[in-house]
Amino acid sequence: MSLTLVIGNKNYSSWSMRPWIAMKANDIPFKEVLIPLYLPGSKEEILKHSPAGKVPILIDGDQQVWESLSILEYLAERFPDAKLWPSDARARSHARSISSEMHAGFMALRTHCTMNLWLPPKPRPATHTPEVMENLARIETIWSDCRKRYGGPFLFGKTFGNADAMYAPVVARFRNYGLPVTAETRAYMDAVMALPAWREWYDAGMKETWIMRHNEPDWPLVRGKPVE
Amino acid sequence: MSLTLVIGNKNYSSWSLRPWIAMTAAGIPFEEKLIPFETPEFRREAGPAAKVPLLIDGPIRVWESLAILEYLAERFPGAKLWPADIAARAHARAIASEMHAGFTALRGHLPVNFARKVMKRPLTPPVAADVARIEAMWGECRTRYGGPFLFGTSFGAADAMYAPVVSRLLTYDVDVSPATRATMDAVTALPAWRQWRDAGVAEPWVYAEDEVDWPQVHRA
Repeated sequence: MSLTLVIGNKNYSSWSMRPWIAMKANDIPFKEVLIPLYLPGSKEEILKHSPAGKVPILIDGDQQVWESLSILEYLAERFPDAKLWPSDARARSHARSISSEMHAGFMALRTHCTMNLWLPPKPRPATHTPEVMENLARIETIWSDCRKRYGGPFLFGKTFGNADAMYAPVVARFRNYGLPVTAETRAYMDAVMALPAWREWYDAGMKETWIMRHNEPDWPLVRGKPVE
Repeated sequence: MSLTLVIGNKNYSSWSLRPWIAMTAAGIPFEEKLIPFETPEFRREAGPAAKVPLLIDGPIRVWESLAILEYLAERFPGAKLWPADIAARAHARAIASEMHAGFTALRGHLPVNFARKVMKRPLTPPVAADVARIEAMWGECRTRYGGPFLFGTSFGAADAMYAPVVSRLLTYDVDVSPATRATMDAVTALPAWRQWRDAGVAEPWVYAEDEVDWPQVHRA
């Protein structure tokens, strides 16, 4: 039975990116349904797929799964060979702890540095608040600890798994808002951005035309140019 | 090997309640280590993310309430913390995740405070929307799985994730449907619930930011 993943705009929807990139990077086939967010009718369209009214939503036959983290748990069960979680129980608990930490945390980073792939990458000091810098420090510690313990290049070794997928939007935030990252953090970001799945998402996002003003920190500049 | 669960104050800590009540209700033995918030000991002991709850199992440290519940579900399969059926399990995880990262209006407006005298607090529209979503979700679960808990006859990880919500709805006397009330009653009837509540009410610590009536502190 084939899977369908309902997502929002690729340029802006960080939650949607997580299961999408996990599935693409691990060759799990699915059909994509994209609903541009915050347009008239968007909410109604999403509610047709899930009572929670949020993207992403995975549809597997008559089963609907919502929330990025629970979709990743579902995929891990449904496709055990993809090894979305580490096979060692201790490493797996570690992967789940940091995934949960991302899922419910880092509010400052998420608020000040909303995902926006087409934003020209450069430091935007106004967004580097003390709380954002605290989030950055904690995330750098998490990533570096994982890469040391499990050998990299991804968080739990050689394959891109659920924990990496949870943090994939953070890679974009760090890049586009020019956060001052260490060379080691940069190496992890490069590993993620080198994935064909990352590029496919990125290229599609760059082709989109829906603009969300509240997610454009340089407004009235969008993509570095005055908005028409 | 014995488990240790590091938790915050019982009166105020919603996150700590989740694994504690899941373990206690399921009869999973553990040693409890309570560290009051805002103490030097708290910073030192509360794990890599400086947060409670933290589960310690020999060399393994698991933080984040949801990740701890996943760990317990794997470690104690007999406790059936997630439903056995894959579809129901996916449903349980979706609503557990929805709680884990969501309902921020509800959580901000109605902080967990077991010791507060039960008094109505008017809801803002975003809080009312959160309550409506939770009522719809619980109602759907009871219809599909038969109750009295969200996924049937045993108290599981999804129930544990929502246990603090039961406390919030009670303390602030939120108007709910009879069906929601029945779910709340099933949870509050658990010996594990009473044990936590009684210990919380007996604690001496008071935190202004969690007392919505501050500078007044209403106690029953």
